[in-house]
Amino acid sequence: MNEAAQDFSDEQLGKARAGEAAALAALIRAHQRSVYSLALRMLGTRDLAEDLTQDVFMQLSGNLKSIVSSTHLVFWLRKVTSHRAIDQLRRRARIETIPLDEEIPQLSTVDDGDPLLHRHLWRLLLSLSPSARAVLLLRYQEDLDPIDIARTLDMPINTVKSHLKRSLEVLRQKAPNPEPLRCEGKSP
Amino acid sequence: MNEELESRLRAALRPVAPSDEFTRDLIARVAADQRSSSDARSAHGRRPRARGWWLSASVAASLLVAAGVQHQLQERHERERGLEARREVIEALRVTSQKLNLAYEVIKNQSSFPADDKPGA
Repeated sequence: MNEAAQDFSDEQLGKARAGEAAALAALIRAHQRSVYSLALRMLGTRDLAEDLTQDVFMQLSGNLKSIVSSTHLVFWLRKVTSHRAIDQLRRRARIETIPLDEEIPQLSTVDDGDPLLHRHLWRLLLSLSPSARAVLLLRYQEDLDPIDIARTLDMPINTVKSHLKRSLEVLRQKAPNPEPLRCEGKSP
Repeated sequence: MNEELESRLRAALRPVAPSDEFTRDLIARVAADQRSSSDARSAHGRRPRARGWWLSASVAASLLVAAGVQHQLQERHERERGLEARREVIEALRVTSQKLNLAYEVIKNQSSFPADDKPGA
């Protein structure tokens, strides 16, 4: 989760648990970027990502009493989002569908980044299995270490490491020359 | 090579925000869901009172049934006592009738003997 989410205090969580609407709204605002991004990059379309984000926060509102701390909250959101996305992908008949160009979601916050890089990374992400995709996103979007990824996905740590190694290998083989695809969007 | 790839991945996979409209809708829906859950919990909290009412009604109904059964048992007991008394009266009348018949037979036999048959006559 991002820094704003990490900084969400236990006090605010307590207020949200007590039913304060403003605290609940603050909680959603603090964590929605992470949940939405995970959902978007797992599922591939904005509509599906928005539906999943809404489902996760609905489930959270019913389970607030069981959340004991802001750290627990972040862990819970990652876990529920990842598991729901993996389940959804496994239910779908064609999980490797590549969206049309206009449907390729924004992968980066860098608006002036190279769209070709976005497109290429998007294709690479979609070529991975649901579990491997989740591992990769938790590692490089959420910046979790393999132990935390294993806890989040209920997966043996060796499986996590294996997914990471294989995914990076695939990405390295398929990735284009980094020079023309630099993500920073600097003018040549 | 791996480090470069990892840094590119981190840069490309920074979290993105959903639209403001979606965020507004999401907050409104979750808040509404929490309110309805809270209402449901309140309704759930009223259930003990409803259960108390049903308990009182059940106890009252049980008492009424018990009183009815008791009344019927008492009536049957009194009826049986009446029948027993009737049987005793009938038996007493039967015994009395037998004794009267016996006395009648004795008197009748005595009156049928001639006077000269009496010794010393």
